[in-house]
Amino acid sequence: MSDDEQLNPVRLWREWFVKSEKAWSQSMTDMMGDERFSKGMGRYMQEALHTHRMFSESMAQYLANLNLPSRQDVLDVSDRLGRVEDALSSVQVELRELRMRLAQGGAATGGRPGVVKPARTKRPPEPT
Amino acid sequence: MATKRAPKSPHKPPPPAHGLSPEEIDQRVKKTIERTLARNIPGLNVPELDLDLEIGQTPKELVYTRDTLRLYHYRPVLDEIYRVPLLVVMSPVARGYILDLAAGQSLVEYLLLQGYDVYMADWAPPRREHAHLGLNAFINEMLDGAVEHIRVESGEAEISLVGYCMGGMLSCLYAALHPHRGVKNLVCFTTPINADGMVLYKQWAESKSFDIDRLVEELGIIPGDLINASIQALRPLQRSANQLQLLNNVDNDAFVKANLRFDRWAAEQLPLPGELARDFVRDFLRANRFLDGAFPVGDKVVDLGKIRVPFLHVAAEYDHIVPTAASKDLIGLVGSADKQEIVIKGGHVSLVAGGNAVYRLWPQLDRWLGARSI
Repeated sequence: MSDDEQLNPVRLWREWFVKSEKAWSQSMTDMMGDERFSKGMGRYMQEALHTHRMFSESMAQYLANLNLPSRQDVLDVSDRLGRVEDALSSVQVELRELRMRLAQGGAATGGRPGVVKPARTKRPPEPT
Repeated sequence: MATKRAPKSPHKPPPPAHGLSPEEIDQRVKKTIERTLARNIPGLNVPELDLDLEIGQTPKELVYTRDTLRLYHYRPVLDEIYRVPLLVVMSPVARGYILDLAAGQSLVEYLLLQGYDVYMADWAPPRREHAHLGLNAFINEMLDGAVEHIRVESGEAEISLVGYCMGGMLSCLYAALHPHRGVKNLVCFTTPINADGMVLYKQWAESKSFDIDRLVEELGIIPGDLINASIQALRPLQRSANQLQLLNNVDNDAFVKANLRFDRWAAEQLPLPGELARDFVRDFLRANRFLDGAFPVGDKVVDLGKIRVPFLHVAAEYDHIVPTAASKDLIGLVGSADKQEIVIKGGHVSLVAGGNAVYRLWPQLDRWLGARSI
C-alpha cells in the first residue's frame, strides 16, 4: 500500500468504522433487547401478518380477474418443482445402490466399479 | 472551375484519421485487456464469476434422502481409513458448504486427507408440505434414518457424530435418546444449550406480543430472510463493516474471494419448517428445558446426562450468534466420563472455516477423533 493510500481520509474513515463497528452494533443490539422494543416488534409482526393475509386475499382475487397467476399459484409451481427434484434425488440414490449391488458381484468396491473400497484399518499416528 | 463533389453516403463513416477501422480498434482493446488480465494484476479479476465452481467441490455422492434431509458421502481419498465413519450434522438453517468452502479451506477435505470416512447430513429448503416437521421428525426419523443408512452401507455398527450449531443440538438429542444406535463419539461445535445466554432472542421470544403459534400458522415455513434478519440483528453493522473491509482490500484477490464466499453463505440462510421453529422457541428459548434435563422430543423427554460416549465441545470466544454463555453449560450437562471442551479465538463461522480453524482447531479435532475412531 502506498503512503498516499494510507493517508487517504476515506480509507481512514473505513478503517475506523470497521474497528468501532462492534461497539456500535452492541449498542444497537442492546436497544433492540429493550422490553419496549420487543413489544413493539411483536406488535409489528402481528400487524404485518394480518396485513399480509388481507392483501394476499384481495390481490389474489384481483389477479384472477386479470387472468394472471397469484403468489399462491407460483408457490404451487415451486412445490411441484420441489417434488420433481425430490423424485430425481431418489432416482439418483436408487441408481447408486444398483451400481453398488452390481459391483458386489465382482471385487469389493465402494459403489464405483473398479474402485477398491479402502481398508478400515487406519490408526492414529504415534504421538511424538 | 469548381468540381462537383459526390454526395456523402449517410451510412458510410468517415475514414479514421489514425487509419484503423472500428473492428481493428475493438481487437486492440480486447487484446490489451486480455494482456492486462494475463499479467494477473490484483483486483482486476472478477472472482464472483467463478465462485460457483469453487464452493463445495470435494467429490461426493447423494446416498440417502428423507423429507428435507440430504445425506452425502464424500469419496475417501486414502487407501486406508479409520474404522468408525463420521457423520457431520449441519444446522437446519445453514447450508452445508460452509464446511467445504474451497480447497485448502474445507473441513471435509481435511478430514478426508486425515483418513476419515465422511458423511454429511445437509438440509434442503423445506416446502409447505414440510411445515409439520418438528424436532421429533428431525431426530427420530431423518437423523435416525441417516445413521441407519451409514451403519448398513459401511458395515460398521458404530459412528461418530459431529454437529455444528443447531446441528449440535440435534446430535446431542439423538445421542441421548438413542444410546443403543451406535454413537461412539460426539463432537459439538458452538451448540446452544442455555437460552439465558442468547439474551436478545430470549427477550424477543418471551415478549407477550410475540406469538410464535400465529407466525407458524400464517406462514407455515419461516422464510430464510426472516432468519437472516434475526441473525443480522445480533450485529447490525457487521455486514456494512464487511463491505468496507472488502473495499480496503479490493486489490487482494484472495481476500476478495474469501470474503465473497462467506458473504454468499451468510446470505443463504435456509427457511425453517414452522413446527421446528415452534419447538425451538417454546422448549428452548422460553422454557430452557435442557437445563432441567427434560427437553421434550415426541413423547419422550431428553436428559443430556444420559450421554455416556466420549464428548468434545468446541466453542468460539467471540461468537456473537451462540455466545459462550449459551454453550458453556453443555460440558457439565453431558454425562460422559471422557469429555473435553476447547475454546478457540474466533467467531461462529471462523471457528469452522477461518484461519484459526485450519491451523488450530482442525489438528486438535483430528487428534481427539483419531484416537477414538479405531
